[in-house]
Amino acid sequence: MYGRRASQLLKEVDSCEAGQLVPFNSDVFDQVIRECNEHNTQFQSLIRKMVEQNLDIETTRNDDHYGAAVHHLSLLRNKRCLMAYMYKTEISQYNRAEVIQSFRWKIGPVLPHEIQEKLHFSEKEYFKNHSAAIKSYMSEMDIDLTVDMVPPKDPYIQVRVLEDIGEVSLGEHSISLTKNSLHFLRRTDTEQFISQGLMEEFLE
Amino acid sequence: MSSWEDDDSAAAAAAAAAASTDVELLKRAWRNEKASPEILRFDSPLVSRVREQIQLLEETLDDFGESGVDDLVVSLYQMDLDRTLFLLRSYLRLRLQKIEKYMMHISKSEDLLSRLSQQEQRFAKSCTEMMEKHLEQSVLSKLPYGYDSVTRQSLSSTEDDMVPEPQLDTFVFCKTKSDVGAFQLDDIGEEVVDLVADDLYVLRYKSIKGLVESGQIDLI
Repeated sequence: MYGRRASQLLKEVDSCEAGQLVPFNSDVFDQVIRECNEHNTQFQSLIRKMVEQNLDIETTRNDDHYGAAVHHLSLLRNKRCLMAYMYKTEISQYNRAEVIQSFRWKIGPVLPHEIQEKLHFSEKEYFKNHSAAIKSYMSEMDIDLTVDMVPPKDPYIQVRVLEDIGEVSLGEHSISLTKNSLHFLRRTDTEQFISQGLMEEFLE
Repeated sequence: MSSWEDDDSAAAAAAAAAASTDVELLKRAWRNEKASPEILRFDSPLVSRVREQIQLLEETLDDFGESGVDDLVVSLYQMDLDRTLFLLRSYLRLRLQKIEKYMMHISKSEDLLSRLSQQEQRFAKSCTEMMEKHLEQSVLSKLPYGYDSVTRQSLSSTEDDMVPEPQLDTFVFCKTKSDVGAFQLDDIGEEVVDLVADDLYVLRYKSIKGLVESGQIDLI
């Protein structure tokens, strides 16, 4: 059935939990692209056939016309699905580009290996460029927007260090952040470590 | 010489400014931005005023550190500073995320572009270019001729029919600030509501858009 493969792509994205990403499905993606080109070949040959029979393509309504229309519409459908998979929001609630953009806020400018693996090469490039755009906005505005992701409750929080970080200078003090040690620090100082997964908030 | 209307609106703005602090105003802008489906006008003067205040507060805190003021007082000031900073960051972040979502729609409309700050305009522009490049090399370049446009489905489309737009007829919660009186919700005048001061309503965003822009109603 025409268009089934393309809808499979969208089902994959949609069945995924919000904010998560499935690996880029290049097999199905390439098949849909091939399908598109096949539709176009068929479409062109039907149109050519009608021209050879000296029929007016605008007004003739014969079998070939409807055949061509079906190929044209199937191609459009496939294109819309491919675009929705990558970016467009009107069909699918979640799309890859939006999730990739959200990584910049949630994870930071460097993506872990597990996520890199799931991306198309063009998506990796997009993520890099997009991060750079956010960075240049932040430097123009002279404000760091990647901290303070949740409303502050207390200026200080208790944290547990998850990985050895070493000697860090915070304000006037310098402290040694060794694995599993507990610290009572200024919330703003800890945020970058927390987002990198080096620390966690310690809740009793 | 300014007209009466200008005087009136200037007086109203002065009254509003006197009635609430800049941080309150920023909180309102933030809340409106959060609840509105489309991007609202960026209030540059407000943001720069808030930033000045943040800087002042930071300097005050530094002075406190040197002069050994009570820790409790210091932490109260710190908390105030943290909250204001969060509000500002969250507001700017919210706008960037909205721009990311509707970048193509925003980039092609002069009216929408004029609502952004200069830095945001640059951000929107580079985002759109990058997104187009990304879609070009991953999808569009592999599609047959005539079907390779970002904004149109095919050559036979007569208008841009592939640009995601915000849903303006979605419902929003809102609160009136003053009496607006009988307000027409649709074009033909079949639906009219009486908007009373300090009352809550759930209405279509599209119909109260003008009131949000003029500051007569707040989204919540």
